[in-house]
Formats: sequence, structure tokens, C-alpha cells
Amino acid sequence: MKYALLIYENEAFYGTEKAGPKIEEIVGKHMVFAQELGARRIGGAGLKSTAATTTVRTAGNRKTVHDGPFAEAREQLGGFYLIDVANLDEAIELAKKVPVLQDGAIEIRPLLGE
Amino acid sequence: MNGVALDRVFRAASGRIIAALAARFRDLARAEDAFSESCLRAVRTWPAAGVPDDPAAWLYRVAERLMLDSLRRDRKQQPVAEETSLDPSPEDLVTDDARIIPDERLRLIFICCHPAVAAEARAALTLKLVCGLSVTEIARAFLLQEATLAQRLVRAKRKIADAGVPFELPSPDAWPERLDAVLSTLEIAYARAHEDAAGSGAHAGFSAEVLHLTKILTHLIPDDAAVTALAAQVRYAEARRPARLDADGFIVPLSAQDPALWRRDLIDDANRLLADAIRIAPSEPRTLQAQLQQVWCARQSLADPAPWPEVLRLYDRLLLTRDDPIVRINRAVAVAEIEGVDAALIELSRLESAGLEEFLPYHAVRADLLRRTGRHANASQAYARALQLDPPAAERRWLERKLAELTSILN
Repeated sequence: MKYALLIYENEAFYGTEKAGPKIEEIVGKHMVFAQELGARRIGGAGLKSTAATTTVRTAGNRKTVHDGPFAEAREQLGGFYLIDVANLDEAIELAKKVPVLQDGAIEIRPLLGE
Repeated sequence: MNGVALDRVFRAASGRIIAALAARFRDLARAEDAFSESCLRAVRTWPAAGVPDDPAAWLYRVAERLMLDSLRRDRKQQPVAEETSLDPSPEDLVTDDARIIPDERLRLIFICCHPAVAAEARAALTLKLVCGLSVTEIARAFLLQEATLAQRLVRAKRKIADAGVPFELPSPDAWPERLDAVLSTLEIAYARAHEDAAGSGAHAGFSAEVLHLTKILTHLIPDDAAVTALAAQVRYAEARRPARLDADGFIVPLSAQDPALWRRDLIDDANRLLADAIRIAPSEPRTLQAQLQQVWCARQSLADPAPWPEVLRLYDRLLLTRDDPIVRINRAVAVAEIEGVDAALIELSRLESAGLEEFLPYHAVRADLLRRTGRHANASQAYARALQLDPPAAERRWLERKLAELTSILN
């Protein structure tokens, strides 16, 4: 089955520019993790901060463009992996290994069409 | 065979058959549907054709074929097959059903209690699929509206299918984490049955199912102390049910229960299980909790001294691995007997927990201790608070009586 592992952390921890020693540390860990995933990784990316986010909102038939993410939250989506594994338990095992430098959450979402 | 007897056959067979079909075809909802349909066919054909020698094997074979047909229809890869014969072959009918129906109940229990399934749905789903309880019965036991429970069950089954919960047993290294979810689920299920001391109607069968499930687990996982200890625990608790109410329907405290009324068969059974648990892991919290029950159940008559010193020693050991307000409150009851009521009240006053104000046993124990020190006004307040927290019927009556006694002293 294919799953998205959505990584939520408080992005303030990494600074708005997402640069510097903390980012270097976490990127290094992600590279090691991606290697461990091997063929099970079918996609994924780290995301720039919500300061760089633009939202297109649909209300009725109107589309409006806004600055920022669609919802304010304590933790923000900071990146994701797309993986292909046998079942939820394997996805959970991998989600436990996704590197984070602080408290946060990894959401496991099956892809549609599975 | 009348309706009641048929129902008993269906219920006894349901867990094994649904588990076997679900494990093989990886589809809970369809396995459940196929089993229901095979029961309907039995109701239609058995009265005329006679009850097969092995009703479970018959039901399994019919359900299996229904499931295959339904899967085939859905896949539409092949043209719909000509009507397959749904009657089991003569060989099916002479073979022992234990050989025909693989026992996949443990797998089913692990699926129902998967941490990805909403915690409040796990016990209900297990009772429904593994024990064959009806939605009506489970709703009554959990004090839920039938519609609410039915919706919860549908949602849980959909989650299992959509999220890709595996139909394999978890690997042994994942067992500690997963087995605990299973045991907690059973513990909650039993606690629900036990709350109702009268065990009137609705819960009578319910606690029997938990006894049955814990027994299955001990057969399937014989070398786990937590599993055997939980099985022992529910047996000790259930053994005392006949003594838990007095003639007027008031709850009788454990120390005042007449051991002659306790069920010796269940106590013997529990003693054997506990001996295993102690051999495997003597300091495991569930082993100690079962021992706490055991020291009471060793009492032969009310003339035997109450085992308070042993109880306090066991609580002290339990605190080393499980230090929470519930253990501390129960320990305070023993402290009152050994070191005195004042010492127990000091213990209680040291407790700090956000939920304590809403926790019925805390107020009930505190009220009793205050009453015994003669602080009647404070005790009245504590009884009143306990009564606000919606105690089960028999306990409510007991608390009301205590409060009334105090009120008459105070006035």
C-alpha cells in the first residue's frame, strides 16, 4: 500500500529561513533515512516555511488568493514522504524512524486508489 | 432445535468462523456478512433437513462459499459462475470442525485492538466479531445508543480496511506494545461488566464472554505473565459476584463478603493461572494485581482474619512499577487498617492529579475514612460529592445509606 508520511513540527525551531546548523543537522538525518527507505520511498520533499506559503481558497464559485497557510496551528507541515509498503504496521515502523529534532507528529495517510 | 438453541450454536461458532474467513480473505465486513447469511440459510434449511452433526463446520463451509461467490462477483474478472452448490459435501460433514476451521481468533483480536482503531471502539469490535455479541447487547453494556455504537463499529471496520491494518500477527518484538492494547481492551470490557454488581440480565453474558476471551488468550499465548494474570484477575473478581450484594441490594465491601458464597470453581481456576503468572514474572504489575485478589479469595470464612498486612505489602510492591492515583487510593484503604485512619488520610491528601476531583473511588474512600475519624460534616460532603459522580445503582444505594446515617447523627 502507498502512504504519505506527513511531518509536523514547530517550524519556528528552524528559523524562517530554514537555514543554519539545525537545518543541516535534520537534512543530514533525512538523507540517512531516505537511504534506509531505499525502494520503499516513492517520493517526498521538505517544504519551505509557512512564510513562503500562498493559499488559493475556493468559497462558492470565487477563488481568492491569500498569504500564508490555510490554517494557523502550533505545528506546521514541514515535509513529507511517499512510501510503498505492505501494510499499516510497516508504515508505522517507518514513521517512528522519521527524524525530528523536537516534539512533533508524523501523520500516516493512505493514498487514494489503494 | 429451537430459536434459543440455534442462537447458541451461531454465537459459539461466530468468532472462529468470522476470524478464519477474515484472515483468509482479508475483509472483515464481508466475512461478517457471509457468516450472517450462512446463519440465515441454516435457519431456513435445518428445521426440515435436520441439524448437521457438526453445525459449525456446516456454517463455515456455507459462509466460505458465499464469500468466494461475493468476491468473484465483485471482481467481475470472470463471468458470474453458475450457481455453486452451497451444501457442504459429505466429507465436510464427517470431519472434525477444529480441523476444517483454522483458529484465527488471536489474529482477529489483534486486528480489533490495533492502536490505529479508535480506543473506544476496540472492546466493542472485539466483543462483536470474536464473541458474537449483538449490537444491542454491547450497546447496553457500554451504556450507548445502539445507533451510536453501530456507527462506531462501521467506522472502525472501515478504518481497518482503508488504513491497511495488517491481517498478520504482529512480529514478536512488537508484542509488548500491542498485547498491552489487547489486555487493556479486555480489562475495560470486564470492568464494564463488573461495575454492575447485580449482574442483572444485560451484563451476565457479557462478563462470561470476557472470561471466555481471556481463556482463549491463555491458550494462544501460554507463556505471557500479563495474559495469565489478567485471566486470573477476572476469575477472582467474577467468583465473588454472588457475595457482592446483600439481601436488600446494597453493595457489600470486600472485607465483609461471606467467602462461603464465592464460587470455588472460578477461584481454583484462577489459582492455577496465577501460579503460572508468578512462575513467569512475579513482579509484573498484572501478576501483583491478581495476587491482591488472590489473598482475599484465600479466605475461607469471615472468621479468618482479613489479609490486610499482605494486601499492604502487595500494594507497596505494585507501587514500584505502577505508581498512579488508583493504586495509591486502594493502598490507602489498607493503610487505614494497618497504620490507622489518620495515616491513610495523610496518604490521600498527598495525592495530586487533575482528574481526582471527578474520580468516584477517591471521594468514596475519603468519605469513609473521614467518617471513621468522627469528622462527620466533612464526611457528609465527601459522600455527597461521590453521589454526584454517577455511581452504579448498588453502590449509589450504599453511599446514600451512609450519607443518611451521618445526616441523622449531625442533626
